Amino acid sequence: MSSHPSTLERPPAFRRIGKSILLTLPILLWSLLMFSRAFFQPRLDLRLASVVVMLFMTALFFLMMRTGTTYRWRRYFFVALGLLFPVGFIADLIAVRGTMSIPIERMVSGDTPFCYMVIPMLVIPAALTRSIIFPGSILPTASNPHSIAIMIGLWLALTLVLGKAWCSYACFFGGIEEGFAAVAKKPKIRRIDPRFRLVPWAILLAIVLLSAALFEPVYCMWLCPFKAVTEYPAVRSVQTAIQMVIFVVLFIGLVIVLPLLTKKRTQCAFFCPFGAFQSLFNKINIFEIRIDREKCIDCAACRNACPTMAISKESVQAGNTLLGCMKCGACVDVCKNHAAVWHVKGTAVGPSSERSRLLFLYGAWAMATMFGGSVLANSVSHLLHFAM
Amino acid sequence: MNLPSISASVWEALALGLATGPICLASCGPVVVPWMLILPNGWRVRSHQLTVFLAARLMGYLLFACVAWWAGSAIPHAWSGRAWAFGCVQLLLAIALLTYAIGWPKTRSCAAESGRRLVQIGVAPQPGRTGAATLGFLTGINLCPPFLVAGVRASQLGSLPAALVFFVLFFAGTAVWFAPFLALGFVQRNPAIATVARIAAALLACYYGFLGASTLIARIIYV
Repeated sequence: MSSHPSTLERPPAFRRIGKSILLTLPILLWSLLMFSRAFFQPRLDLRLASVVVMLFMTALFFLMMRTGTTYRWRRYFFVALGLLFPVGFIADLIAVRGTMSIPIERMVSGDTPFCYMVIPMLVIPAALTRSIIFPGSILPTASNPHSIAIMIGLWLALTLVLGKAWCSYACFFGGIEEGFAAVAKKPKIRRIDPRFRLVPWAILLAIVLLSAALFEPVYCMWLCPFKAVTEYPAVRSVQTAIQMVIFVVLFIGLVIVLPLLTKKRTQCAFFCPFGAFQSLFNKINIFEIRIDREKCIDCAACRNACPTMAISKESVQAGNTLLGCMKCGACVDVCKNHAAVWHVKGTAVGPSSERSRLLFLYGAWAMATMFGGSVLANSVSHLLHFAM
Repeated sequence: MNLPSISASVWEALALGLATGPICLASCGPVVVPWMLILPNGWRVRSHQLTVFLAARLMGYLLFACVAWWAGSAIPHAWSGRAWAFGCVQLLLAIALLTYAIGWPKTRSCAAESGRRLVQIGVAPQPGRTGAATLGFLTGINLCPPFLVAGVRASQLGSLPAALVFFVLFFAGTAVWFAPFLALGFVQRNPAIATVARIAAALLACYYGFLGASTLIARIIYV
C-alpha cells in the first residue's frame, strides 16, 4: 500500500504561537536582508513581488515551526519554485534575446547563463587542461551576471553545509515533477525495480567521461529534460533537431507522465546525474535522517513516502537512509511512531531530533530564501508586470 | 636519416606521447573506464586485461602508421574513405561496448548460481582476451587529436620503419597515462559499481552508435 505524506502525516504536535514566532524571527530577518535591495527599486512590481515572496517564505517557515512537520510546507515552496522559474527565466530570455533558443554566436561570445548541472562535467577537463568546458564567462559581465565562478562558489558552500538537501531546497527543476507527483491521489505504478536507482550514477559516469573526451558539456547538449522549458540550442541542423526531440520526450516522460503515474520524483530519482553527484556530499555532510530501530515497526510507510526511493528495506534495518536521501522530511513526517528522525552526525539518535531538525532547517531555509526566493521574486515581478 | 636526427625523432615521439597523454586518456576514457569496472575484481586480472588492451592498441597504432606513411599527410584531410572508416570504427566500438553491457564476460560456476557465496570449485573463469583486444584495437585506430598529430609527423619521416618506431615510442609515452586505470579496482568493491558500469557502457554504446550511423548516413546522403 502506497501512502503519501500529505495524507498520512503523524498527529501534529503544535508549538505555541509565541514560541513559533520566536523561532521564525531569524528567517524573517534573513528574508529582510535578502530582499532589502529590492525594496528600494523604482519598479513597483519588483517591490511588491519581493514583499509577497518574503512573506511567503517566512509564513512557510512559521508553519514548519508551528506544526512540527516539514515536507508539506517545503513542497509548497518547491513546487512554486519549479513552476515559476521557467516563467521568469523565459521572460528574461525574451527580453534580452527575443527568443528561448541560444544561437551559436551567443555561445561563442560566452553569453550562456551557467547552470549548476554542468559542474560534474567540468571537473576532469579542468584538472587535465585547466579549461572550463562551458560557453559562459568565469567572472560576471554586464550581459551575464550569473557567472561560473559565482555559481560554483555558492554551490560549493551550500553543498558542504547541506549535502543533497540542495535537491529539495535549491534546485530550480525538481519542483515541476514534485508538483505533478502531488496531483494524483494514488500511484498507478507501484512496483518499481530498485535497480533504476543506479541509472543516475551510470549517466553521471557516461557524461563525465564523454565530456572529457569531447570537451563539451554532453548532458546539456543531449540529455537535459529542462532544456524544453528553459533555453535550447537554436534548431539549425538535423543534429539540433534530434537534440530538441530528445529534450521534449525526456521532459514529458520523466517530469510529467511518470511522476503522475508513480507519485515519485522520477527524473530526480532515476535520471538526474547531478543528483547522483550531489549524493556524494551526503557522506561528508553532518545532517541526515536516521531510523530508530527500537521504535520502527517495519510498516514501510517511510519507504512508500520517500519521493526518490532513498529508503530500502535493508537501509531501514541498518537504521539509515540510502546515499540519495534529499532530506525533504517526507519519511519523518509520515512516521507515526517517530522512528524516522532528523539527526546530526556524532550525536545520539532520537532525543535531539527536533534540535537537529531546527539546525538543518535554518540552513536549508536560508538557502531556499536566498536562492529560490530571488528566483520567485523575479518571476512574480514578471507576472505582476504583465498584470499591471 | 643520420644519428642525431633519429635521436631527435625518438625524443620527439616520446615527448609527444607524454605531453598528449592526458588527451589520449580523456579520449579513451569512455571506453576504458566502464570496461575496467565491468571486469571481475582482482589486481592480476585487471593488469592482464589492460596489457592485452594496450598491446592491441599498439597494433592499431602500427597499422595506422603504415597507412599514414603510405598515403602521406593527405589521409586525415582528403581521403574519401575517411568518413567510412570513422563511421565503421564508431559502430564497431558501439557493438563491443554493448556486448559488455549486456553481460559479457559471464562467470559460471558449477557449485552455485551466480552471486551466491557458496564453495567455488576450481579456479573461477577469467575473461578472455578477445574483448580487451577488440577494444584496444578499435581505440588504437580511432582518430583522436594527438593521434592525428603523430600521424602527420610520421608521414613526414623518410622510411616506413622510422614511422613505425615513431609510433611505438609515441605509444609508449601515452601508455604511461593508462596505469592509473588499474586503480579502478578500489572503487569496484561495491557490487553495484559493475551494474552502473554496464548501464554506462550501454549509454556510451548508444552515443558511439549514433555517431557512427550519422557519419555513415551523412556520407551516403551528401556524397
